[in-house]
Amino acid sequence: MIITVVDHYPKIPNPPREAKLRKAIHAYDQGKISKEELERVFDEVTKEVIEEQISAGVELITDGQIRWEDGQSYIAKKLDGIEIGGLFRYFDNNTYYRQPVVVGKIKWREPIILEDWKRAQDFAKNVPVKAVLTGPYTLARLSRDEYYKSIAELSNAYTDALIEEVKLLDKEGVKYLQFNEPSILYYPEDFDLLVDIYNRIRRYFSGNLAIYTYFYTVLPLRKEISRLNIDTFGIDFVSRKENFEILRDFPKNLALGYGIVDARNTKLETPEQIKSLVEKALEYVPEERLFVNPSCGLEYLPRERAYEKLVNLAKGVNLVRGERR
Amino acid sequence: MKEIKLPILPVTSVGSFPKPDYLVKARNQYAKGLISYSTLHELELKATEEVIRMQEEIGVDVLVHGEMERGDMATYFAENLEGFTISGLVRSYGNRYYKKPIVIGKVKRTKPITVDMFKFAQSLTKKPVKGMLTGPYTIADWSFNEYYDNKRDLVLDLAEIINQEALDLEKAGALFVQIDEPAVPTHPEEIDIAKEAFKIATRGLRSFIITHICYGDFRPIWKDVVNFPVHQFDLEFTNNYDKLYPLIESFGFPKEKFVGLGVVDVHSHRIESVEEIKDRIRTALKYFRPEQIFVDPDCGLKTRTWEEARAKMENIVKAVAEIREELIKEGYPSEITIKLGD
Repeated sequence: MIITVVDHYPKIPNPPREAKLRKAIHAYDQGKISKEELERVFDEVTKEVIEEQISAGVELITDGQIRWEDGQSYIAKKLDGIEIGGLFRYFDNNTYYRQPVVVGKIKWREPIILEDWKRAQDFAKNVPVKAVLTGPYTLARLSRDEYYKSIAELSNAYTDALIEEVKLLDKEGVKYLQFNEPSILYYPEDFDLLVDIYNRIRRYFSGNLAIYTYFYTVLPLRKEISRLNIDTFGIDFVSRKENFEILRDFPKNLALGYGIVDARNTKLETPEQIKSLVEKALEYVPEERLFVNPSCGLEYLPRERAYEKLVNLAKGVNLVRGERR
Repeated sequence: MKEIKLPILPVTSVGSFPKPDYLVKARNQYAKGLISYSTLHELELKATEEVIRMQEEIGVDVLVHGEMERGDMATYFAENLEGFTISGLVRSYGNRYYKKPIVIGKVKRTKPITVDMFKFAQSLTKKPVKGMLTGPYTIADWSFNEYYDNKRDLVLDLAEIINQEALDLEKAGALFVQIDEPAVPTHPEEIDIAKEAFKIATRGLRSFIITHICYGDFRPIWKDVVNFPVHQFDLEFTNNYDKLYPLIESFGFPKEKFVGLGVVDVHSHRIESVEEIKDRIRTALKYFRPEQIFVDPDCGLKTRTWEEARAKMENIVKAVAEIREELIKEGYPSEITIKLGD
């Protein structure tokens, strides 16, 4: 078992702690601080959230995506052929993203998360940091396409571009690479396309390759997931209770990203509740193929509550470990 | 039976206006305990008066009070109800954060929430001012829930509260009551709860009922939503025209209902030209009768600057004036009459 997180972490704490990132971005927007000063604050906050994850007991962490304004534009603004458009709701959350508008051929131009990952791994020392990207299929679904002719063509164009990033991450020694693909749950009929995309990505990455999904039902895909040429598949068991039905026939060729802490509600799970959920998974999935994590990224919660949830998650997993040793 | 007469293609806005700098500052000071509520409230009233004057100067037909007293549209109601507490900060997008309600007990209304501000705003103008409410489904969906075992119970309790509030607004003279439900399209599987709640929220009302729904994929719920008991659907035809028009083409739009036609993007600094707005209205006229259309921005204007909000509204009024002339030349009446039941 590995205790991990899905992707983002709340960017600012609540008083009396200082909301330094919010202040710095505001000051930068008003021309009061330089790009370098803003970058320094991004680094400071990244370091803080890495320390918080580690101190809570998370064993495979992320950089918290502190630099990301949202899951789409952070990637899209570094690709050619895309403009950043209007504000759209992110799935069923009261949270918004700027819609990428595809106006020309999509091309990789510059590293997207390579430097972020390097710095984060540096801060985290011996705790592994996973690299996280929004997947090509979800990027395509959340874009407005004014250039390509179909979702398949657009997804493939995003795949080509992101493969350039994957090559760099692989070369740099990234051991865990995760793509978020929540959109596939809403269009299960496109699963063949997802399989093709990850067959291609697989060729360029030698470490643990994961796809994470969240927010919606995974049951229409229960017979299909095993066709993915990846190592780990993440599922949100909180937003949709029926997803527990998948445990009994979860594919033997994959590890499960077991999303059981509600990252979208403040109600705190107890270590005992976590323990019993982990035991439930262990009836069907062996320890060495289990990642335990929140249901999705933690930015939907106030920072302090996100931390408390991770602490209880780690305590719950450790209760199980204690009993099994 | 009441009758409301308005110019054809009435111009309105969705709800919020930007808060003037002095009010933003005062709200921060109040949050830190540096000024009293009465000092803050004086400034809220001052800003409300400015919002009303601005709309009158521009020539808007159905006014809003601007929501100077509200932070977030769900949190404001939670702050004034029993059973809620307010969370720490969570991010909505970019560098914007808000405090989200947490349900920690049975929700209850102990006093009217929006009536005083409505009365004050309506006292400043002869034009109608809309009573502005957030719908029960949206308040529930945008809150953390640590108390109710199931969401339906929470939504239905809130529906009773919003109904009392709407009835109080009518008693205070509101001819237009808007109950916004932007969260509805995000959970198609809960459309029955949302529908049941909306029926309760609008029970016994006699005013012109509007709902603003935005940011969603309407495909799975369109047939349910268009049957909500309202007079007008206010929708974002600027940001979402490419999804809404195909839906209307395939599934239709009720002939007897009105549409609030969003014609400017509220999240962009760019001021749309009069010609652009006229084009958007002309497109709408292919789908709706002119007597069915109210014209407004896509959503509340609170994220724009005061100048941007004003400029966007001015161009809407100019564009509408030109289209009105064309319609009158084509033989349409210059006024529409809305009849409200007893």
